[in-house]
Amino acid sequence: MTAGPLILVAAGGTLAGVLSGRFSPRIWLASTVAGVSAALAASVWVLAGGAVWDWHSAFRVGGEPLHLRLDAISSLFMALLSVVGGAGAVYSLEYWPDSAHPRSARGGRAWWSVLVMSVGGVLLSCNGLHFLIAWELLTISSYFLITRDRQRSEVRAAGWLYLGASHAGTLSLFAYFTALAVSTGGWELGPIHGHPELAPLFWLALLGFGVKAGLFPLHIWLPSAHANAPSHVSAIMSGVTIKVGIYGLVRFTGWMPVPQGAGWVVAVLGVSSAVLGVAFALAQHDLKRLLAYHSVENIGIILIGLGFALVAAEHGNAAWGLLALAGGLMHVWNHGLFKSLLFLGAGSVLHATGTREMSRLGGLWRAMPWTAGLFALGAAAISGLPPLNGFVSEWLVFLGLFDAVNVPGNVSLASVPALVLLGMTGALALACFAKVCGVVFLGRARSAAAGHAHESGRLMLGPMIALASCCVAVGLAPAVFFLAVSRAAAEWNPAWATVGGPLSIATIGYANLSVVVVGAVAVSYLWRRAGGTGLRRGLTWDCGYAAPTARMQYTGGSFAGIINEWFAWIIRPTRHENMPEGPFPVRAGFDEHSPETVLEHVVEPVGRMVIKASSLARRLQHGRLQAYLLYIVAGLAGLAALVLLGGGR
Amino acid sequence: MGSTMNLLIGLAMGLNLLALGSGRLSAIIRATAVQGVVLGVMPLLLEYTFDWMVALVALVTVAVKGFVIPSLLRRAMRAAKIQREEEPLIGFVPSLLLGAGGTIAAIAGARMLPLLPEHAGTLLVPGSMASILTGLILLIGRVKAISQVCGYLILENGIYLFGLLLIHSTPLLVESGILLDLTVGVFVIGIIVDRIQRAFDSLDTRKLTVLRE
Repeated sequence: MTAGPLILVAAGGTLAGVLSGRFSPRIWLASTVAGVSAALAASVWVLAGGAVWDWHSAFRVGGEPLHLRLDAISSLFMALLSVVGGAGAVYSLEYWPDSAHPRSARGGRAWWSVLVMSVGGVLLSCNGLHFLIAWELLTISSYFLITRDRQRSEVRAAGWLYLGASHAGTLSLFAYFTALAVSTGGWELGPIHGHPELAPLFWLALLGFGVKAGLFPLHIWLPSAHANAPSHVSAIMSGVTIKVGIYGLVRFTGWMPVPQGAGWVVAVLGVSSAVLGVAFALAQHDLKRLLAYHSVENIGIILIGLGFALVAAEHGNAAWGLLALAGGLMHVWNHGLFKSLLFLGAGSVLHATGTREMSRLGGLWRAMPWTAGLFALGAAAISGLPPLNGFVSEWLVFLGLFDAVNVPGNVSLASVPALVLLGMTGALALACFAKVCGVVFLGRARSAAAGHAHESGRLMLGPMIALASCCVAVGLAPAVFFLAVSRAAAEWNPAWATVGGPLSIATIGYANLSVVVVGAVAVSYLWRRAGGTGLRRGLTWDCGYAAPTARMQYTGGSFAGIINEWFAWIIRPTRHENMPEGPFPVRAGFDEHSPETVLEHVVEPVGRMVIKASSLARRLQHGRLQAYLLYIVAGLAGLAALVLLGGGR
Repeated sequence: MGSTMNLLIGLAMGLNLLALGSGRLSAIIRATAVQGVVLGVMPLLLEYTFDWMVALVALVTVAVKGFVIPSLLRRAMRAAKIQREEEPLIGFVPSLLLGAGGTIAAIAGARMLPLLPEHAGTLLVPGSMASILTGLILLIGRVKAISQVCGYLILENGIYLFGLLLIHSTPLLVESGILLDLTVGVFVIGIIVDRIQRAFDSLDTRKLTVLRE
């Protein structure tokens, strides 16, 4: 048996979803769930050691014969796509229903299926042309999903930015695949050995896939797109779509020759994405924008793993490279799971209160205990705390870097700062999620909307519970998942097929399990004691003030203020201070805004300069015949001068 | 023979300057017409033996360039009720200076060109280049459609002069074809001039910028 029939079912289910999305939510949900379940089964089959599915067909698309392949690397991403694609589909029925969004919900369902199908196409196709077609379809379907709520101008702006940035990346990929096709003589993709002249093409791939993945200087589209999309769309974009960029990098660094030093560049980009991503996240006031910057951070962690794996491959396939790569790949899964969970949780908050502004929320855990608990679980996972999945994958990356310290030479010199910065990233992420959970769920409601919040229904909580259980499962049984990930790593670099995993991976599982047991015992003991003695509710930090209001609570900005100061050199916050003066101040105010630095201080000024230069050139086009003749005469005179001066030889 | 031809070409070059320096449309049309006649008889001087075909074409050229086209232009001028080129983009004196400078440069530049020995002594090449330059200056520097048509005709005269270099290898049929195109072109422009005048109450081609996109 092979995965073929399952893929056929998956394709059929998704196609039925595309067709039925506009008409019947029930049929759409059934076919989508059937499709993603089949895809999940196929990828589990391959990851569990089943045969690689490789299908050549005589059927031609765009003049090229269809060639699909599901190996360990693609099934790793396929499994993530199936889980998040299914969870988001269920969630959307309650979150974005026909009753509230009569027109956009119908299109949203169809585009959702197109997105799932195009990601599947990218993962399966083994032909450069088909890869590009699926890639473009992925970009377009994401655009239509982001702009579901396109009456709002900021949604349209986010959509345009996404479309523009993505196409800049796609352009680079067009160059990449075309150059590849020219030098290999065909669009067929596969492992290429003995062509060192192809190595420089890696930089094109890094640019093209980097834009999609949202690594640090190329992430400009990501915060606004993820913040303004409907939450289930943010979940699949952050959980899966940006991972497709990682897939491209992993896939083509595995198949193609890589230039010297590429690993270092990837690792440096990874470290800067990780640290700066979390720094920007801390400065955000918008819940979903904050989560979006955490995607940049986690992409950075994944790239640190990939970068050090490339370095290890350059240094004789050292075994620590396997740990780094496995950590990175496992983090692809883990980030996909907990970030989707967090976005769905943020969607639940948004659905209940109508705002993403954290300074208008507060005290939600009373009204929404399930959402609060599940969000807190996701927050613990993304902060890399045991016993959850984020801890396992970050720990694997750490383990790889620790082993790299023992290598004499540059590697150890570089891995020490990488370790320190990775540790710092984890600590900052914890601080950031302490801020989010504290401001959004604890304390008292800061606005009427937050005060009237209600818990979401089963269709929204169910997918969140499913994703949370996946997070717990990876945390408690890391050895099982490591086995699957190491198959993908062996596919990437066959030299690592025989290298075993670290012995401690099973120990980590037991340690996590015991943390859960001890924690459960401690919680039940404390619960019982609290129930026995009775709890007294009181004010915290009222500082002797007699009549505190909900607006006097700690805000997210004040919580993160100190850390924001450390990174003010790059975040460049704009502040409007109106300090209280005198013994009886009348009016005071403080307002802080953190711009998207790369976009507002680099891309936009450059863009304005280009537009200015272009509009200067446009003045030449004014419609006066006489001047057009003058251009021709000047051109002819220039050519004649060129010929006369000896250029005509 | 060479001296007669050089004399005629020199005359044509003088007519170029006349067309450039004059503001009255009738003067420009007259200069163009005379130039057409002067150049039209040139094939007869170049041919050593009399050829009735060449004679016929020369006759037609003289008739069309010297009489048919100018009369069409005069009729357009009357229909549009304009007499003068009022505000040229390049003034008359600067045009004249440019044209004179261009003529000198053409004579100097022709020496640098690798010409056949039988053409080296004649003014054919400098004359043709000077006429082309004059035509371009008129096209670029004038705003009235009729002056531009004259510029176009002078430009064509320059090309025609250059074509005489190849008279032994180019059939005169080609030249007569060009002549036919020119006539039809001027005929069409004559009609358009009338229409522009009626639609816009002006013949200023600077106003025709709406179609630039």
